[in-house]
Order: sequence, then C-alpha cells, then structure tokens
Amino acid sequence: MTRVFDRLTTVITLLLIVLLAALPLFGLSGALPIYLVNLAGQVMCFALLAMAVDLMWGGAGVLSLGHGLFFALGGYIAAMHLLRTAFAATGVLPDFMQFMGQNRFPAWWAFADTGVATLAAVLLAPAALAFVIGYVSFRSRVSGVYFAIITQALTYTAMLLMFRNDTGFGGNNGMTGFHDIAGLPAGGTAAAVLLAALSTAAVLVCLLAGRALLATRFGRLLTAIRDDEPRLRFLGYETLWLKLAAWCLSAMVAAAAGALYVPQVGIINPSLLDPALSLEVAVWVAVGGRGGLCGAILGATLISLLRSLLAASAPLVWPFILSLLVLAVVLGLPNGLLDIRNRSRQWLLDLAPRPPGRLPARRT
Amino acid sequence: MNAPAIAVTGLTVSFGNFVALSDLTFAAQYGTVHGLIGPNGAGKTTLLDVLTGKARTRRGQVQLDGHTDLSRMPEVRRTLAGIGRKFQRPSVFEALTVADNLDLALRQHKRSLLRDVVAGRPGKAARIAQTLATVGLAERRDDLAGVLSHGQKQWLEIGMVLIQDPKVLLLDEPVAGMSDEETAQTAALVKSLRGPGRSIVVVEHDMDFVELVADTVTVLHEGRTLFEGSMADARADRRVIEVYIGR
Repeated sequence: MTRVFDRLTTVITLLLIVLLAALPLFGLSGALPIYLVNLAGQVMCFALLAMAVDLMWGGAGVLSLGHGLFFALGGYIAAMHLLRTAFAATGVLPDFMQFMGQNRFPAWWAFADTGVATLAAVLLAPAALAFVIGYVSFRSRVSGVYFAIITQALTYTAMLLMFRNDTGFGGNNGMTGFHDIAGLPAGGTAAAVLLAALSTAAVLVCLLAGRALLATRFGRLLTAIRDDEPRLRFLGYETLWLKLAAWCLSAMVAAAAGALYVPQVGIINPSLLDPALSLEVAVWVAVGGRGGLCGAILGATLISLLRSLLAASAPLVWPFILSLLVLAVVLGLPNGLLDIRNRSRQWLLDLAPRPPGRLPARRT
Repeated sequence: MNAPAIAVTGLTVSFGNFVALSDLTFAAQYGTVHGLIGPNGAGKTTLLDVLTGKARTRRGQVQLDGHTDLSRMPEVRRTLAGIGRKFQRPSVFEALTVADNLDLALRQHKRSLLRDVVAGRPGKAARIAQTLATVGLAERRDDLAGVLSHGQKQWLEIGMVLIQDPKVLLLDEPVAGMSDEETAQTAALVKSLRGPGRSIVVVEHDMDFVELVADTVTVLHEGRTLFEGSMADARADRRVIEVYIGR
C-alpha cells in the first residue's frame, strides 16, 4: 500500500520546494542565467508528463505509448491562446495564417481569448479525447501491448494530421510568434521565471495529490487491476470505469504539462506528436521506476538533463546512450532506479565477508 | 420443494469444433456441498465459466433460484447477484495487504460503483475480522498477500469470495498444490461454510477431499453427466470406474 510520505517522497518534496523558492529568488535578480531557469521549467514539464504516464502504468498496469498526444493537445490549445493575445496586442495575424491567405482568425478560436476558457479547454478537451479512446479500448478489453500500440498509432495519426497546412494549426512549421505571457513579455526573464515556477508547483501538487489518491480505496483498486484485473471483475467491479477515470485524469495531467511547456519553448509543431517522444517518456518512467510517481520524476529529470547536456557536445551518441540505459535497467534493475533502494542492502550483504558455514541473511 | 440455487438445462458450449459441454443438465441445491469431478477435459471448469459468465453458451438455460435467468447477464452483475468464484490458480492482489484484499472484495454499495469507491460503511472492519478468523489468516492481516504461502493464498481467495456472502460459492480446485495438513484444514473450512442460504460447488481432482466435503457428486465425462449421487456410490459405479477412477 502506498503511503503518501515515504522517505524518497519527502526528499523530492523538499527539493521541489527549494527549487520553487530559488527560481524567483535567483532568477529575477539575474544570479541564475535565464537559460537555466528555462531548462528547469522544461524539465519540470517533462516530469509532469512522466507522472501522467506512471499513474496509468505504475498505478493500474496500463502502458501508454501515446501520451504525446495529450501533451501536444494541451500545448496547441495554450498556443492558440497566446496567438490570440499576440493578435490583440499587435493586430498582426500569425505568419502561418497570412501564408495560407487568411485575413482573420477562424471564428471558433474566440474561446481562447480568456485565460479561464483556455485553461478549461486544456483540461477538458484531452479528457474528452481520452474518454473516447479509453472507452472504446477498455470496453473491448484491449490491454497490454495491444493498447500501447493503439495509443502510439493514434499519436502518429495526429502527427500526420497536424503536418498538413490545411488542418489550420501551422502544419509543419507549427505555431510561434507569442507576444506576451500573462502580461509579461514572451522570452523575457519574468515570464521564464513565472512559467518555470508554475511548472515546478504543478509537479509538487501532482506528486502530493497523486500519492494521496493512490493511498485511497480508488488507488488500491487500481493496484488490484494491475495485479489481477479478472479477479477484481469477478468480485463485482466494472473495471472499465475505474480504468477510464484514471486514464482521463492522466490525460489531463499530460495536457497541463504540454500547456506549460509550449510557452517556455516559444513554439509548438507536430514534432511533439512524434512517437519517439512518447516512447522516451515510457523510458523515463522505466528508468526511474514505476509506481508511486517519485521514480517518474527522477527518471524524467535525470534523462532530460543528461540529454540537454549531451545535445550540445555529442548529439550523435545520444540514441546509443539512451539504448544502453534501457538495457542496463532491463537487465540490472527491473524496476528502475527505485530498485537501488530495495536492493542496495542485499548488495552490501553479498559483498560483506561471511562467517564460514552460515548463509547470508536474505531480505524478503 | 425449494428451487435449486443453480439450475442448468440443455446446456451446450463449444469452442470451434470442440464441444465442451453437450446438452448438460445440472442442479445445485441450497444447504449442500456439490462435488464436480471428471477426467481432464470433461467440462468441469467450463461449467463454472458458464455460471460466472466467462464462457458464452450456445444453447441452454442457466437459472439462479429457479427464476433469475443468468445466461444474458454480464459477468459483473452475476457476481452482484450472488455468484462467487474462487479461481483455479490462486488469484489475489499480491501488492496489497491481506486485510486490503478483503476490504476491496467487500462491495457494500452494490448499486453504485462511485459510492463504493468514495464511501465506507460501518461494520466493515467487523466483517473483515470475522472473515479473517474463518479462513484462519487473522495473524497475517497486515502482511502483503504476495508473501503468503500457496495454501494461504487459496484461503485468502476463498475469504475474498466469502466476504461477499454469495448464494452460490464456486470453488475451482481449492486444494490443488496443498499439503495434507492444509487439505484437511480446507476440508474443515468448506464443511463449516455449508449453510441453508448457500450452495457450494467444488471442482476438485482430489477424490478423498471430495469424499470428505461433498454431499452429492456429479461425474462429468466428455461434456455430459455420467453419474450423480454419493461419492461412495460413484466409486462403486462401473461406468465411472471405466472412464475415470480405474485408469
């Protein structure tokens, strides 16, 4: 059973609080360079996305290889809002609309004028999409690798759709040219600090709320689905609704991550729908360790930091490093870095000199 | 005369060209333990699958209490209607504690899944404690189900079905893989569960166990009923010996 605060969760919570305090403190004064503030914010968005995947994978044993779909959907909706506010400030249509020969926004974009409506759309549209995908799949008892393939195929389909200029969201080039973020000039220090702090706060809230949720009866039912779904069904639970609730919640978290991510990178294009990104999210969770959300944060943070470090110095070797990491985890630590905590004691015992004739104490 | 708890008439189930059950008629009465035996492939587990909704019937009727038609009912509704099943392979939630396994098994708000998830109801702890005592796991209540022995997992699963207070308790090979001592304890447990409001059906390969617990046995062979009566008579029956015991 999940306790809300185990030692690792407490440590991560404290680190997040420190980061949350440090960002405005050192970011606004200029002690922390803006690119580091930005990097921290983006990494936090990835951590949020990884937690969304872990809620389903570690929580209910349902692997999604298509969370990029919800991440991008949240991002596109946030970008629509930013383009509307840019237009309100400058009166200039986004480049891609001029390029397509449009002289005004499609009327339905008007919903994105207010922050509240945008926020509602960021959370509800992905939830609705997830409901449809989840209802159809879970009702037909599609599970395991088949479900993972479906999610990946849908993400790929969405990428092809968004690549088209006619779809109306900038096609291949995507949407960019944001003017301001909540009144702060886009690309400025204040906006970067605000977004990074918001992302960190979102990770903190999701970690604590998520762990509290996993400790409830609902969380235990998800564990039961992971352990033996038919047994739970034959105890009288329609597992469809339980899985669907978790799935929609997970999609909402992923979309929130995307909506926070896009203003920080200043652009959204269909590359977020590349199946490779969604696969990498699963790698983050696998490397960090499934279940309990802490491993997801660790995995996402460490791997995306490592990648941005190597992106400059050795971009070509990155895929090999990632593959080796996966192999190492699969062979040595089946439940990722979290296994180090569980196994380190045993390793130490194995290394310690043994008194002759006695078996080493084995931890169960 | 009271209606049987379970009445199956003219039941045919086939998988592709293989006929698992053919025109089978079977009844299980309240207040009894009904043994279901037969060689491998005779259709014992298939019959349980039909009762719980895991397998679809091609022809025939399945009724609960003589009036509730089960054949069109989804599997979850059947469980809520009072049909509980312990699976052949011990199926418990290994990452949860013994007490939590029983807690989840106890659905108190049968009409609303949402209320069952968010709300508790008084009296739950007492039911769990009582069930723990019945299946002899009171001392293991806070251990993870995954660390229990094979026999204890079987008992826990019996407890999980029992806590729902089912009208029909289906036990699929409850003593498979158990030591002699555990088998004897399980026999005592099954006998103690017999009651006027409950019908127990036991599928088991262990003939001595069936003889210990069952009031009536049905011998299935190739999807049909070969014999029905007491276990002592079954052992003496020439046809039964021929297809089963004699080999």
